[in-house]
Amino acid sequence: MNTTFPNKDDFLSVPVFEMEKALNRVHNKKDLLERVIDIFVKSLSERISAIETEIHNENWESLGTLAHSIKGSSWTIGAQQLGDIAYAMEKTADNKDIILFSHLFQIFQESAQRFFEVEKTLQ
Amino acid sequence: MDKQNIRFLIVEDDEMIRLIHKDFLNDLYPESKIFEAENGAQGICHYFESNPNIILLDMMMPIMGGEAFLDILEEGHRSNILKEKPKIIVVTAIKDVKELMSIGKRFAVEAVISKPLVQNQLKSLLEDWIS
Repeated sequence: MNTTFPNKDDFLSVPVFEMEKALNRVHNKKDLLERVIDIFVKSLSERISAIETEIHNENWESLGTLAHSIKGSSWTIGAQQLGDIAYAMEKTADNKDIILFSHLFQIFQESAQRFFEVEKTLQ
Repeated sequence: MDKQNIRFLIVEDDEMIRLIHKDFLNDLYPESKIFEAENGAQGICHYFESNPNIILLDMMMPIMGGEAFLDILEEGHRSNILKEKPKIIVVTAIKDVKELMSIGKRFAVEAVISKPLVQNQLKSLLEDWIS
């Protein structure tokens, strides 16, 4: 398989979190945003664990669905960087390329750590 | 459609997105009833229980996705088990244009909106239907 590794810097140039976008999604309701971010953080951790399991099983259908779900919720909450990496993971799951998927997942986990750090400053 | 009697059904696996949809619909139509389902199978159950007028439907969900949900509604309508045809708005993160066009032609699908949802698009659609 002809695997092309994406450059991590391409993803890093995109913001980790855009507060303005996030507030827009919830009509500037800060209390609602807090609840939404809490749910997002919890589900992100659960999905990362699920991906770790499914990579081991090479369960491509599940990996594609997980990446797709993360993409939708990340873009919704203004976590553009996570959404963009998840989108790349979703497309890679379609091609069943385990090397590229694992590489992207590594980048994704680093991005998730950055998101968690930003999220802590919001509390 | 009379806004006093609107029943919405949100079929979406992501709890966060369900919450955002629900809050938005509540603000727009405070007298409406809003039902929620985490997947297509739950959505079918809620459909028969609550007979919604308008459905917000995600496509990719675990257990049962939007395609199967639409298949069942279509079959129910064809065999006259379902009398009323709901209005379905698909809200999806699918990016493939051919796939989106194909969804747009499905039974009862009135619109396909991309995630992240631009709520003004949804508002404008609803205002066309609800008085």
